[in-house]
Amino acid sequence: MELSGPRWKGKNYAQIANSNPMSEIIAQLQVCLSNSESAALPIGTDFLLETEPELTDLFNCTSFGRQLKTSNGSKGYFQLSPEETFYLHHYLNCLKVLINNANLINVNDLWNFMRSRNELFPIYYRAYMHLRSKNWVVKSGTNNGVDYVVYRHHPELVHSEYAVIVDWEKESGEKEGGRLRVWSDLHCAVRACNGVAKAVLLLNVMGYEVKFSLPELLERMTVGERQITRWLPSQCRDDCKLDNDVEADDIDVASDKNVINHTTRYWVVPLQTQTQPEIGEEDSDYAPSMSL
Amino acid sequence: MDGEEVSKVEGETRRRRKGKGKERGENPARNRQQNNFLPSSSLSGCQIRTEVSKARWVEEIGMAQVIEKNGSLWATTGVIRNGNLYCHIEEIGYLAQIGALVLLDDGENVMGLKDIFTKCADRRYGCTWEFFEAYRDLKSLGFIVGRHGQPWSLKHDNLKPNSNFTVDTDFIADRIEELQIGAANLIFDIYKPNSKFKKTDPGAPSFIICLVGDWPPIRKEVEYLEEKCKLVPLKFCHVNHGDVRFFSFPEVSLPVLP
Repeated sequence: MELSGPRWKGKNYAQIANSNPMSEIIAQLQVCLSNSESAALPIGTDFLLETEPELTDLFNCTSFGRQLKTSNGSKGYFQLSPEETFYLHHYLNCLKVLINNANLINVNDLWNFMRSRNELFPIYYRAYMHLRSKNWVVKSGTNNGVDYVVYRHHPELVHSEYAVIVDWEKESGEKEGGRLRVWSDLHCAVRACNGVAKAVLLLNVMGYEVKFSLPELLERMTVGERQITRWLPSQCRDDCKLDNDVEADDIDVASDKNVINHTTRYWVVPLQTQTQPEIGEEDSDYAPSMSL
Repeated sequence: MDGEEVSKVEGETRRRRKGKGKERGENPARNRQQNNFLPSSSLSGCQIRTEVSKARWVEEIGMAQVIEKNGSLWATTGVIRNGNLYCHIEEIGYLAQIGALVLLDDGENVMGLKDIFTKCADRRYGCTWEFFEAYRDLKSLGFIVGRHGQPWSLKHDNLKPNSNFTVDTDFIADRIEELQIGAANLIFDIYKPNSKFKKTDPGAPSFIICLVGDWPPIRKEVEYLEEKCKLVPLKFCHVNHGDVRFFSFPEVSLPVLP
């Protein structure tokens, strides 16, 4: 299997990432969020969290949620997906959630709340948890027509390597999810993702049963990982990524006016005192190594 | 997307016309433009072969016996049975299409491409049209392609010439059962291009091709087929209206990051 490895967005970014392991920054977030009064509130299908400056920085560094652009300089406003909210509340055990502006909710009630809004939540949460618990940064895959995209570190430092499709099957092994049902689904996913230099990762969540409680579900549901690649016999290689298109996530960040574009100041100011990287300059050394 | 391809135009190879237009004092390019709006390159046929072999179709065994062997391609094509060279219908189809083989019936009549292609699609000979298209695709790129699990060379001791195909006919019968519509089947053992390839000692294949039917394979199918292949990498092939595509579904494990 030929994979060109992570594509860092600038010189020294790999070193910055290595010097700032995501697990350590998340540990800092856990402490800060646990001590904070802030609680997440349901907003649409997502959750809203108001943050003080230190927490704002940590949310940005760990790339949880999307920060909303506001004129309020002293507070941050983050929109968290259901998976992110539940992961922070349950797995990292640091986020408080308020339902109906009344009481802080406990984990089982929050679980039932999430499931009542989306019957597939357990499956997606299991997949999200599988990836985040390995310290990969997990973001929405809507831009690429998939469920998630995963990054080796912060999206400002590195391009995402995998486009993730989540499928699922019951405890009996019977396929339940409707993903990649017909061949054009497969061709479409591979073509779309390879065109933006991402490998397709199929996460198969196994052992799902609707009746499971949260602990049962997490104990009995397992996740299998398979990559889907197109093999090109003419070049006798697996084509995991093509290198001719602009990164879609770069375009998205620039065009979404409602979301603050994360700048690399988060990596330079609070965590590093080294010389600043050359922000914004694409180094030609980082041209992808795979050729057509 | 893919590399060089052998032209897939059906029909006999065409002789290029040279000089006729000039003899008449006409411009051949203008003639083409008047009669046909397509660029001339799109109408090219296969290149003419100087080394043409001959084979005779043997209906009882569903293969052809090579009676005149020309060219070096036979080092990596056809199977040896008791010292004689035979080829399967997909090999015949490919070689006939590129003009490297003439196929005779049990008499001296040359079988045309239409009949050969029809036989390729006839499941009685262990082949389907999609199977043939996949074979042709890989063979034209220089891979050494054999039917999965079938020996390249077999020697039978003390057998009469007409009875030494019992093994093969059984094998074909098994294949017919396997080639159910819509099912996933292991079809080819593939070796990378290799000038030292020996039919008597081919070694382990570089990978095995599974032809998948109407639906993408599910996890259980993939695992089952991988187990059958043991450690040889497995590629999945989907053929759709002549478009042959291959996929791999390797199991991976994203590392736990620091």
